[in-house]
This record gives sequence, C-alpha cells and structure tokens, in this order.
Amino acid sequence: MLGLSMSITLFFPSWDFRSAESTWVGLDKSLSNGRVIGWSYEDPLVRGDGKPITVILNKDPKTGEEFDPAIRAYVYKPGTPFAAVVNHPDNLGPTVKSLSISKGKIDQAEKSAGAVFIISYADVNGEEWAYVENATATRGWTPSQVLNSTDESQHKYVGKGKTVYITEGCWWCHTLLPEHTQDWQVFGWPPYVGDMNGEMPTAFGSDRKAPDLLHVASRNSSREWMMLHFFNPRLVQPNSIMPRFDYLWGKTDANGNPIDFAKWRKEYDEYRKGLRAYPPEVPEYAPDTEIRALIDWILTSLK
Amino acid sequence: MLLKYLFAKNEDIPPGTATIFFGYSSIFWFVIGTGIGSFNAAKLAFPDFVTGTELFAFGHMRQVHVLAVILGWISMAFAMTMMYMTPALGNTKLWSEKLGLWTAMNWNIGLSLGLFLLWMGFTSGREYSDLIWPIDLVVIFGVLLPLGINVWMTIAHRRTQGIYITNWFFGACIFFVIVVFVVGQSAELFNLTGLTEGYLTFWFAHNVLGLWITPVAAAIAYYTIPKLTGNPLYSHRIGHLHFWAIIAFYSTPASHHLLAAPLPEWLKSFASVEGVLILIPAVAFVANILLTMKGRWSMFVENVEIKFSVTGVLLAIPLNMQGGFQQTRAINWYVHGTGWIVAHAHLALLGMSSFLEIAAVYFGLQQMLRRKLYSLALANFHYWFVIIGFCIYWISMTIAGLIQGAGKIYEVPYIDVVIAEHPYMIARWVGGTMVFTGNLVWLYNMYMTAVEGTVVPKGRYAHELAYER
Amino acid sequence: MGWKFDNPLYTLADEEEVNRMIQLWEAEKPGGMWEGNNRLPYPITYLLALIILTAFLITMPIWGQRPTAELYAPMVELMDSPEVQNMATDEEKIAYLTKRAMEVLETSDDSRLPGLLERHPISWLDLQLIAPAIREIASSGGPYGLESYNVIGDQVVLANFEGNWREDGLRERVQPWWDKGFTIDVFYVTYFIIAMVIVCKRLPPYQRKPDMSKV
Repeated sequence: MLGLSMSITLFFPSWDFRSAESTWVGLDKSLSNGRVIGWSYEDPLVRGDGKPITVILNKDPKTGEEFDPAIRAYVYKPGTPFAAVVNHPDNLGPTVKSLSISKGKIDQAEKSAGAVFIISYADVNGEEWAYVENATATRGWTPSQVLNSTDESQHKYVGKGKTVYITEGCWWCHTLLPEHTQDWQVFGWPPYVGDMNGEMPTAFGSDRKAPDLLHVASRNSSREWMMLHFFNPRLVQPNSIMPRFDYLWGKTDANGNPIDFAKWRKEYDEYRKGLRAYPPEVPEYAPDTEIRALIDWILTSLK
Repeated sequence: MLLKYLFAKNEDIPPGTATIFFGYSSIFWFVIGTGIGSFNAAKLAFPDFVTGTELFAFGHMRQVHVLAVILGWISMAFAMTMMYMTPALGNTKLWSEKLGLWTAMNWNIGLSLGLFLLWMGFTSGREYSDLIWPIDLVVIFGVLLPLGINVWMTIAHRRTQGIYITNWFFGACIFFVIVVFVVGQSAELFNLTGLTEGYLTFWFAHNVLGLWITPVAAAIAYYTIPKLTGNPLYSHRIGHLHFWAIIAFYSTPASHHLLAAPLPEWLKSFASVEGVLILIPAVAFVANILLTMKGRWSMFVENVEIKFSVTGVLLAIPLNMQGGFQQTRAINWYVHGTGWIVAHAHLALLGMSSFLEIAAVYFGLQQMLRRKLYSLALANFHYWFVIIGFCIYWISMTIAGLIQGAGKIYEVPYIDVVIAEHPYMIARWVGGTMVFTGNLVWLYNMYMTAVEGTVVPKGRYAHELAYER
Repeated sequence: MGWKFDNPLYTLADEEEVNRMIQLWEAEKPGGMWEGNNRLPYPITYLLALIILTAFLITMPIWGQRPTAELYAPMVELMDSPEVQNMATDEEKIAYLTKRAMEVLETSDDSRLPGLLERHPISWLDLQLIAPAIREIASSGGPYGLESYNVIGDQVVLANFEGNWREDGLRERVQPWWDKGFTIDVFYVTYFIIAMVIVCKRLPPYQRKPDMSKV
C-alpha cells in the first residue's frame, strides 16, 4: 500500500518535473541565486557568502559595444560554487540543456577560474528559447573585467538578498505564489512550470499575513520607499503589522557615521505622541549591508 | 537524578525511567513551545512589542514555536507513550531502558541545538523542514532510529501472540516517519531544486502529519480509552480499516498544499480526491473510540484523562471535516493561505493531537512514578484553560481567515484586511496565552506529583485511587 | 491459514482459523485490555460510501477556475456596436454586454462558461484594456485559441496550466473535466476496497462475539 502511494506521489511526478523546460525567469533566478540559498558549505554562517553578483550590463566589457536594453550578467568570482543549473544541466530541461551546452558552452565553466554567465536566445523550430551562455568561454569575459567595467550601483547582490529573505523569515508572512482566481488580478500571474528550475529553496510560503511579493517590483519600484518601509513600516503605512527591520542597517550608515538607534526610536516615539511634527530621518544604508542586498533582490528579481 | 542511569547497566535501571524522562521533557517543551507561540501572537497583534533586535524578530521566532511543539512536545510525548504502552501491551518490559534514556538525552540536546540555530537564522528556508540538514541527520539517526529499534525490539520480544492495534501503529509509524524524513530532506542533501524541492517540502509537511502526528495520536487513544474505561475496544476489524486507510489515503494527498503552484495538474486532481478520502480513516477512528465509550460516558465528566482523550477525539470530527473539504479546488481557492488554515493547523496539533497526548502523559507519568496525581483541581484548571484558550484561538483565526478570503476575492486593498484582522489577532494572543498558562500549571502539577503525590500501592492503578486535592 | 470461498461476504477464513482467533481473543489480555469484534454500524458504512462518491464529485475542476479570454470575446465583439456606444453610462454598457455574452456562453459546448463569467465580472474600463489583446489572439491563428489564455487584471496571458502533450508538440492549456489523476484514483480506491474487504473477511464473522469474561 505504502509502496504504491510512494510510486504515485514520488516516482510518477518525477517524469513531469524532469521534462520541465526552464524559462527566462527560471534561468534568471537560478543564476542569480547561486548553488543554494540558506545554510550550506559555502555559506556556513548564512550571511549570503559564496553567492554570485548580478551585474546590470549596458556595454560589452571587452569590445565596449552598447547593450540596449541593458542585459544581466551573473558574475561568479573564482571559487564561488555555480548555480544548480550549471552544475547539473539536467535541471534546465532537455531542450534548454542541449542549447546551453552546444551553444552556451556551460560545460566548460571552471569553478576555480570563476565565470560570467548571461542569458541568450536561440531559435528552435520557429520558437524563441532562452538558454545559459558561459560568456567566459564564448566571449572571453572574466569576472573581474565585468565588475571593473561597471559602476558599483550596477552590482545587484541578489543571492545575498534572497538569503536575507530566508533567514529573516519574511516568507512566514509573505508568499511568492499568487493564488487562484481573483488573487491574480492584484498580485499578478502565478509562476509557470519552468520558472523555478534550479531554485532552492522555492519559499512559496503557505501562511499569508501580508501581500504576495512575486511581482512586487512591478507595483512599486521605489528604492526610497523600500528603505523607509524596512526601517519602520509604520512610517509609510501606519496600519502595517510588519516588524521593523532597522537592524539590517548594521552599525554605520552610508557615510560611515554610527547610527544612533536609541535616539531614533526616542524621537520616533515622540513623533507618535505628537511631540514632533515629522518623524526622524531614516539613515542611508551602507553599500555592503544586508538591507542593500535585500532591496537589490526585491527590485531585480521580483518583477 | 535520572541522568545517573545513563551509564548504569541496563538491568539496574528501574522500568519506567525512560518514560519519566521523556514525559517531563515533553511537558517542558510544551511550555516552551506555547510560551513562544504566545509571544509571537503578541507581536502579530502589536508589531512594536519588543523591537529593534533580530533575536526577538517574528521571522526568527515563528519556526522555533512550530518545531518546538512538533518535535519537542508532540513527538516526545509520542516517544513517552511508546516507552510505556508498547511493553504493557506485550506483557513485557521495554527492550532497553538505557537506549530509551539515551534517545531522550539525544533528543533534548539535538532539539535544543537545532532550535537555537534556527533562532539565530540558520535555516534551510523550507517550511517544516527548516532545520539544517546536519540536524536532520541527528533527528534521523540519533532520535528516530533508536526509538524505532527500541519499539520494534519490544514488540518482537512480546509475551503475547497477537499484537494490539496501538502497537501496529507505533511500529509502522516510526518506520514511515523515518522514510518521510529521508525523502523529504533529500532535497537538501542532494541539492534537488525547483518544483521538485517545492513539492518535496510539502510532501514532507503533509506526510509527517499524516503518517506520524495523526495516526500515533490515534494509536494513543486506542490505548487510553479502553484502558481507563475498562471496556473492550469496540472493534478489531474497524481498527484494520483505520490502519490501512491511513496508509492508503493519508500518504498520498501532499500536492493539495500547492494547488496554486504549477505542479502537474493530474497530481493535484489525484491528491484532491485522496484528500477527501482521509475522512475514511477519520470516521473509522472516531466511530471505534466513541462506541468504545458506551456505558462509560460519565467518565467524560469525572475522569480527567478521559476528559482530555474524548475531547481530542471529538475535535477530530471538525478537524477532518475541515481538512477533507478545504483542500478541494472548490473551497481551497477561498481559504488557502489565510488564517483559516492557521486555525485548522492548531485544531489538528493543539486540538485533536495534543489533547490525546496530554491524557496519555497524565496517565503514564502517574503509572510509572507510582504516584497519584497531586491535584485534581489543578488538572481541571489545566483542562479548562487549554480548551477555552484553544477555542478562542480557533474561532478568532477562523473568522480572520474568512475575512482574508473575502478580501482576496473582492480585491480589497491588503492593508484594509490587516486592519480588519486586528481584533482577531488580539483574541489569538489571549487564547494562546491561556494555553500557555494552563501548561505552566500542568508542569507545576506534575512536579508536585513526583514530589508529593500519594504513592500508588502495588497492583493498583492510579486512576482507581481517590484524589486528595 | 485455510481459505474458504463458499460465502465470501460472510468470512474467507475457514472454521479452524476462526476458532483459533476467537480463542486468542478470549485467552489473551494484552496490557489488561480486550478487543471486540463488532462490525462498522450500517449508517457509518453508508457514510463511507457517500464520502467516496463525494470525493470525486467535489474535486471536479469547476470551482476555483481562472477567467479565460473566451469569456469576454462576445463582449469585445459587441463593444463597438452603435447601440452600446449610444448608452449613457459605463454600468449600462457592461450590464448589457454581460447579458448578451451570457446568452452566447449558454449555448456553448463548455457548460462551465456561464458560471465562470458570473464569478468573474469585468468593468468597462478593464474590458477596453484587454480588448486589443483578445482581438489579436482571435485573429492571429496561433497555436492556442482564446480558451487557453487567462485574463489577469488588464493583461491577457497564456494560462499556466500545463496538461497533456498535443500532437504539435505543445501542451494543453485548458483544464479537462477528467485527467489521469482521477483515473489513478479510481484504480487506487478500487484496489483499497478489495484489499480491505479481504482483510476484514479473513477475520471471524462479526456475529462471532468473543466472550471476554474468561480471563
């Protein structure tokens, strides 16, 4: 009896899962998240170590040719473990796998040398397919070249940001899975079959006490709003029950000055009591903070 | 005091030592788990309650509550009942008290470590499988496997010819839960990703409930109710139906948790039908137990263990009616992801399952300590605080869930749903705090039982003696 | 372990087996407890049959369905007609269009459509926004028809339902009434019932009540 139930619920569906062809969304998620999010060998302290950097690339780092619109390059510095779709191309689905190997040369990527991946398109039987291209092998881009030819603000710490989403437990209240019927009208379309290939964990969330976030950046793409909202959600939404995430700012602000949280909270309490006309200023975060990575992830990945 | 037996010879350890160790550990974890639950509920009602540090952030505490009650309270209470019911039903002794003690020891240490790490943010990010995989390995090899060996060997060395239903469930469910753990955590061990990971997460979440928490709780009722009432179990053959139906229908509907995800559509159809069929074992179980109560219904009022047990069995009726139907496409689109589901989960774990285990822990500890319960008044206080607190919680969260569902369907701005839910969040906190208070009283009552309870004479049962307080 | 097949609904165990089990029942008291041999009361047996029937009926994919572009196609066709254009308010226009669309859908082969439209009303504003996309899909002659597209807010997107493979190598995007999940269910439940009947009929018949006063 148990054997039968195991075959129906585990063995049969595995054929469907294996045949799932990765979409652009799936490739983007997997390549920007790295091998795995959450506790792992490369990230034993769960601080987002060992993750690639997503670079918004508006010109070719080698030839200087302009990209319009800008493309995304996923930069794996030497030693950073590759995404699950690169390590195990079976995760890509049969067609995307063969394209990524024959045209994208992902089998030539070396962990010790690092690699830069991009998502390219090819025509198969009149249909456009997205596949992974190992730009280090096909175009000769090196990780340091890509990083140095771009501005710091073009570097998006997407993998680290998703790690923050996981460790801070955002997914206990927010979901990444718009539900059936009318829910979609508000939160956008639900993921397609190939949108999750290579993603770990998927963190759909099951208990929603807050809006769905799968397409949140399409509804609100303001970095400033996100910053205020994370520091104290009640600055922008008085009735919110979201916790304050001011501790993600670390000890110092963008200018290297220490952040006086006690003073901020005192002034905020005065503001709430009506003793101040305006709430205190929210400090600008430093570039290497968790909050930066989290906002990067939201604005880059959740479109 | 019990720890001195860890290195003693197995023959020198008095029978029941492992039961007592597990019993007090489970109550302790129940107090911890419900305490954190109450704290979390306060944060949902008042988001600025204890703020500014990540240690007490909701996202760090929520999973600690869930796993403290599932792995700490419920699973340890299961182990405790296995330690005394399995040998009793085989008219024999526990195969190894020493192994039992070490299992309890590993369990407490492993779980404390795992929960501490979770609290600090070391997580795999998979619901119910939050523990990082090294801790999962501790759970499988340090806890479940030794527990299983002890139970299987005790059953193998029984001095009866037949095996009573409770022991079928015990032996089988430990095997299932090990399989479920290994398969569920394989996503982390072997870096399985994407839909496979999402599906395995909920495959685990569903099956750990279906093949561990629900059936073992039912198995406990199969022992406590006939034992305390003195009636024979109504029917052996309905027990067969229950046992096989659990295996057939509770192990299959995992994908009904992900109806909105792009899983294979046939798998969802299959799972939804199986999900309704969970009512078959449920009906068999409830019928069997309630018919066993025939002629002894006065004990529902007079006897505190029966009061807890029968309440748990009665709560299984709304539990399965909700569970069977809320997962169908017809209803799931309305309630999925809302407070309704939270209410349902608490009905299963705090309502049906916990009440059955509380009864068994009360009974088992008195039996093994050979002491009468310290105070009936405190036990009744415990009962009423837990049941009233639970009802407040359940009703308020069900209403909140229906509001959320309506908000979802009528495209109400989400913040208006949050505002509308606020009173119910406060009620949830009040209910949760009552449960926590009741459990604190229970811990005190059980401590006093061990210290000052009247000694039960040899050959008598604790429930045959009159209470003194 | 003898078998007896002359009266399978009574018991499958032979007399020797029945007596052995009754004796076991009467001689043994595991943990001081006894077990009875009663059958499931008749009303509860009927309840179980009802549950199995309900399980199939209630899970039919009717509810919780997404609005498809097909629902609004008749409205898009009529929205530019003079009689609609001459109406004063948007409410009047959409009420008229919904009524006309309902008439069309009621004659359709797919009986789910009128109910779906009832559950997914649309505003005049949204209808204007999705109209171009619906017209394009209807006229483009692509591999998927209107029934394969969902309307999400002001967008028309390909349904994320992925069913069986079609002959042209693409997948079905319309949820069928019946899929292989239900077929597996039928076999699975049948297998369970047969196995359960055998298990129960291997026990002594329920009329044989062990006498538990003996130990």
